[in-house]
Amino acid sequence: MIAQQLVNGLMLGAIYVLVAVSFTLSIGILNFLNFSIPGLFMVGGMVTWILIGKGLHWGLAILGAVAAAGLVALAVERLSYRRSQAREPEVPLVSSLGFLVLLENLALVGAGSDQQAFPALVPDFNLRIGGLVVGGAQLVSLAVALTLVVAISVVLSRTSLGRQVRSIAESRETAVILGIDVGRLVPGIFILSAVFTALGGVLFALNYLQVSPFMGEGVGFKGVAAMILGGMGSIWGAVAGGLLIGLTEVLSITYLGADVVNVTVYGLLLAVMVLRPQGLFGRPPAREKL
Amino acid sequence: MRTLLDIAGLSVAYGHVTALHELSLAVPEGGIVALLGANGAGKSSLLKAVAGVVRPRGGRVVFDGRDITGAGVPARLAGGLVLVPEGRRILVSLTIEENLLVGAHLRRDPDGVQRDIAAIYDRFPNLGRRRHMAASCLSGGEQQMLAVGRAMIARPRLLMLDEPSLGLSPLFIGHLFALIRELNRDGITILLVEQNTAQALAVAHKAAVLELGRIVMAGDPAQLAGDPRLAEAYLGRAAGEPAALH
Ligand SMILES: Nc1ncnc2c1ncn2[C@@H]1O[C@H](COP(=O)(O)OP(=O)(O)O)[C@@H](O)[C@H]1O
Ligand SMILES: [Mg+2]
Repeated sequence: MIAQQLVNGLMLGAIYVLVAVSFTLSIGILNFLNFSIPGLFMVGGMVTWILIGKGLHWGLAILGAVAAAGLVALAVERLSYRRSQAREPEVPLVSSLGFLVLLENLALVGAGSDQQAFPALVPDFNLRIGGLVVGGAQLVSLAVALTLVVAISVVLSRTSLGRQVRSIAESRETAVILGIDVGRLVPGIFILSAVFTALGGVLFALNYLQVSPFMGEGVGFKGVAAMILGGMGSIWGAVAGGLLIGLTEVLSITYLGADVVNVTVYGLLLAVMVLRPQGLFGRPPAREKL
Repeated sequence: MRTLLDIAGLSVAYGHVTALHELSLAVPEGGIVALLGANGAGKSSLLKAVAGVVRPRGGRVVFDGRDITGAGVPARLAGGLVLVPEGRRILVSLTIEENLLVGAHLRRDPDGVQRDIAAIYDRFPNLGRRRHMAASCLSGGEQQMLAVGRAMIARPRLLMLDEPSLGLSPLFIGHLFALIRELNRDGITILLVEQNTAQALAVAHKAAVLELGRIVMAGDPAQLAGDPRLAEAYLGRAAGEPAALH
């Protein structure tokens, strides 16, 4: 039955991957630990749930939730990130955390603190391969996460847009001299990161069939852990970290019990940090500080 | 000769520090103008203001007959006003070829870009051989060549170079000034900021000396080269100290 647990771990990992990529884009390109990301994750799940409740088609509901997350991300960029560019690096970190608290409490006021049942959107079919059972929602999660990650990776490494973004990541001043439109691309990165996170929240809802105002917190911590595990700023590091944490979590729940799950997950993180401080795919810091 | 770049009454300040005081300078089309001066004189501020990287407090910049004072960096680049910045500013996390491609990001003719990249590799075989390696593998001199190559890809009509010889070996400095002459023969107008006074005056058709944000001497390079006040202005005072009376 270990193969089945591996499948379950990968599915959970796929959700962490999206959150970890979102964090890594923000850190790697903007040098900004965006603590509003768990809130955007929740917005993805909760707004989809709210809009479906209002009778919207689920496709439109997801679109609306992603758009809402994008708008919130733009607000974070304007009000938290941009305003504190010249000041201490801790300021945007703390004020983005403020956004998380604000979002969670807005959801709390609007929907109450209870877990809300999320409708089963993916038909309850199961793919059977040998003795393995892969659920429809699980397949969708893996497919969506993989597609998004491959797409962002190709764009960053092979297109002119990607080169411009990487130029900003290395040195914003140089990017300005080269005529790169930093003022347009930076908000674009915030939106991109919001799309990844919000879709992660939607996938979470699809799989676990429930949403709540605080659904982003546990996942957010794991996403940060996954990013650090893989190496900050590395997309494929975030993928490896996310999948590894998903697997560790599911395997330790199955074989060691649910109470030790955080011990194994964060123990793994700690062990990697001691042995390889830059993370699995990370390069030792050489970048100019932004 | 026709004026390609006309700077009139340009002022630049950072907070309370005034870097340029109503400076005026004309760069004739097809010429090489050398801009000399001690550290902190305002040379980089002048080039950055012309490139659109810093906003001037006052004055005008006219390029090719058009007032571009309010234009952004991309518009200036597209018009052929290209800066090779102080310290080269190569993107070391990108490959050599990616650095060139970033320099071409405003162009919409991919075939032309590929041709120009090939021409740059012909000119600098060291870059071509390592085109897919991270630019961090290059020596200082090679990085300067890449910085010039990255500017060339943007097809400059006026190329502004900010202390390109800084930190280079004498051999590379020789290559660099030969290259500047060559580019100028190909029809590119050059505004050259240098601390390497002798070499800069040797290639320039016109020279100006900047001191504390003002032009204190200007004219024929050969005459300036023999002027004792040049050495004084040049080696002279750090920014902020009072200017000596002449
Ligand atoms: N970004 C900046 N912020 C504050 N002061 C600056 C900045 N850049 C330049 N300065 C000041 O402006 C003056 C001119 O500097 P700069 O243009 O770099 O001179 P140069 O290139 O001739 O060495 C100096 O006094 C310098 O300290
Ligand atoms: Mg300078």
